[in-house]
Amino acid sequence: MTDIRDGNGLAAAEKLYTQYGSRARELKASGKKVIGYLSALGPVEIMTAAGVLPIRLKGNVSEAISKGDAYMETIVCPFVRNVFDLAVKGKYDFLDGMVLPHQCDSIDRTNETWSYTLGLPYWHFLNVPHVTDDPSIAFMKEILRIFIKTLEKFTGKAITDQAIADAVKAHNNNRKLMRELYDLRKSNPPLISGSEMMKVLVAAMSIPVEESSALIEAVMKEVKERKPAAANPKAKRIMLIGDQIDDVAVIEAIESTGAYLVMDDLSTGSKMYWQDVDATADPVQGIAERYLRKLKIPTTFVGSADTYQGILEERFGHMKKYVNEFKVDGAILFIYKYCDPYGFEVPAIKSYVEAAGAPVLYLEDEYSTSSLARVKTRIEAFLEMIA
Amino acid sequence: MAEEKKGRAVATSTAAKIPKFVRGNLSATLKAKEEGKKVAAAFIADGQDEIMRAMDIVPAWGESFSGVCAAKRDAEKYLQKAESDNFSRSLCTYATCNIGFDMMREELGGATPEGAPWGGMGRPDMMLGNGQLLCDPRFKWPQATQHYQQDVPVFVTNMYYPPWDPNADHHEQEAIYVKYAADELRETVKFCEKITGKKMDWDRLAATVELSDKTWDLFIDTYELRKHIPTPMDTGDAMNTMVPLTFNLGTQEAYDFYVDLNAELRQKIADGVGVANPEKYRIIWAAGLPSWFALGDFQYFNGKGVVFPVEVTYRGCEKIERLDLPKTNDPLEHIAWRWVRYWTHWYDAAKKRPGSTPKVERIIEYIEDYKCDGAVFHSAFSCRSWHAGIMQQAATLKKVYKDIPILIMEGDIVDISSYNEADTHNRIDAFIETLAASKKRQG
Ligand code: SF4
Ligand code: SF4
Repeated sequence: MTDIRDGNGLAAAEKLYTQYGSRARELKASGKKVIGYLSALGPVEIMTAAGVLPIRLKGNVSEAISKGDAYMETIVCPFVRNVFDLAVKGKYDFLDGMVLPHQCDSIDRTNETWSYTLGLPYWHFLNVPHVTDDPSIAFMKEILRIFIKTLEKFTGKAITDQAIADAVKAHNNNRKLMRELYDLRKSNPPLISGSEMMKVLVAAMSIPVEESSALIEAVMKEVKERKPAAANPKAKRIMLIGDQIDDVAVIEAIESTGAYLVMDDLSTGSKMYWQDVDATADPVQGIAERYLRKLKIPTTFVGSADTYQGILEERFGHMKKYVNEFKVDGAILFIYKYCDPYGFEVPAIKSYVEAAGAPVLYLEDEYSTSSLARVKTRIEAFLEMIA
Repeated sequence: MAEEKKGRAVATSTAAKIPKFVRGNLSATLKAKEEGKKVAAAFIADGQDEIMRAMDIVPAWGESFSGVCAAKRDAEKYLQKAESDNFSRSLCTYATCNIGFDMMREELGGATPEGAPWGGMGRPDMMLGNGQLLCDPRFKWPQATQHYQQDVPVFVTNMYYPPWDPNADHHEQEAIYVKYAADELRETVKFCEKITGKKMDWDRLAATVELSDKTWDLFIDTYELRKHIPTPMDTGDAMNTMVPLTFNLGTQEAYDFYVDLNAELRQKIADGVGVANPEKYRIIWAAGLPSWFALGDFQYFNGKGVVFPVEVTYRGCEKIERLDLPKTNDPLEHIAWRWVRYWTHWYDAAKKRPGSTPKVERIIEYIEDYKCDGAVFHSAFSCRSWHAGIMQQAATLKKVYKDIPILIMEGDIVDISSYNEADTHNRIDAFIETLAASKKRQG
């Protein structure tokens, strides 16, 4: 098991980050079932309640796709392709199964490519709706119940309401701790750097929830004990917006220029941790509401306000809060090529965040370090512009 | 989409009526205001056709307009306009072409931009999206358009069908999906009532749905005439003759069109007239939207004795009796069942063949019924919805069925920049050689 002690939280995160999946491998060896999932829509509470380890899959930006392209089209989002390639190459050979939530076309339309190519013992496509009205909540509950049944069948164990309620509590606590860690980024300079934070976020999505909470607490304690560095009034405070960024490469490109990455609206970051599941009499109700209504991702958003401005507030209002609370000077909107859900939101996000006071650099890129030099140049130019 | 620079000569004279349909649909959006009708930006295959028709809402089909721009090779200015406001070139080009056009129209205070293909399209009073299991742009595109037409309300509904899972019993799940789809359609009606200020005439809706069912049946009956050898019509024409079913469902004109097409195909069969003479190879167009700017490629195939008697693309209907729809007096519930079963009715067949999928079963069924020798897929780079997963379909087809010649062409629906005619023709030639070799092997 990962050794988490006082004073070594960051080292533990670093290890889990660099040896991604190592804890899952250990647990698998000790007899635990491991289920991989994609995207912020993976209902971790249910998997935890089922007694399996949920691990969110990530790719490797430094590794070129070498096998996956024989099965999956290059018009699929580069992040999905990269993860798939790793899976084909056996990087995730400890998985007993996978859950693909219906986040976007790149996931939905490749469901059969994944399931038939990998041939894992357990497979589930969670058909999350893209609309959030009352019939959609009722439907979301139905499909969560179907998911629960398939997991019960697979593990041979009933998933009780009590187990789900307990898992909800554990994950809410985990989210609360992560938000507290985010708070430590509000100071100038932030107590924890953007790349350290990314390693913690990535590590956290690969281990059981209690271990993740212990890790966050250890990191928090450690960074709080740091001697405060002198404030650098010139260093720009940056927010990163996008879907699954799960590597420090881009963040190092930002921070190597002297800027601080202080906040994100990423599906690996704040999107995962800002919203809790409400404890409801039927625990599935709270889970349905959190994933469908509270989680702010572009494929589960429907505006209900009467005016366009009102809709923008519903959709991106949280980013305005981040700009103010984290004193953001500029934002980088980092979107993967072929990503329709985020791609269609670019003009709206850009103008909204700029109106909130933070200039925005929009970058469309691959999920690969091969274009990092170009990205870095653009980031440097942007930081100079807002200096 | 029927008119393209290269002037594909349609094989059937009925298909020559299609430009009238397309122009009619576009001009209806421009005339709607005078006629006191509301216009809805809408998407095909979204289950909302009959609701719009029964409420006299004029659909503004963005996909059709972008297809026309592409066929006229006149989309680039709109694609560039969208790109100028940071819409990536990798996004769905139906959407970005249309958004570029909308942006220009807004800059002109609502007036149609000069030189718009076929007179352009009218400004909508509402945008109807659908977060269905087909594509993300179907709801992200209206939301993105609202950035430029801020006063136009967007309504997104959601219609799903059970995902394919060989280990799940989809029959158990169908009712959940139907209930959800019907509830969502009811929400659509409420929204349309609010915008039009009119109540739904439920009897009229029921009659419209009945007409659609009849059109579905007639469409299939007509297309099945293409089983004949030599085939009287191929996919090159079907990319046109799909228009009434796809864009005018629930109208008498659509039904009448297939009456005419049916009569013409019967006549051709009686006269022994085929698309290619001689007909050497029969191919299924197994998946993919076509390159609208290169429909002439079908003639290239035809010229070499290759015909497409059947295609999966735009065959958006099925014989109603085959779907075994439960009886209901609620037209919305009927639409919901029809939608769900349209997808799931291939699931049982797929379960019987280990390793197969419903999409592949459908292809196999058509290959057998239409006596095809090979399969062509088209992979359009800007549309993940229809085109991601094609490689898997092709591989599964070979694995679970037989080793038939397969060609996967790569291009786009609208963006001509990736298209090279000489390369495409070379690939087609190589494919025909494979077909010849394969046929020889089979004796
Ligand atoms: S980056 Fe976009 S396309 Fe890729 S998985 Fe995320 S939402 Fe889907
Ligand atoms: S199906 Fe494809 S071409 Fe049609 S709107 Fe969706 S992404 Fe665009």
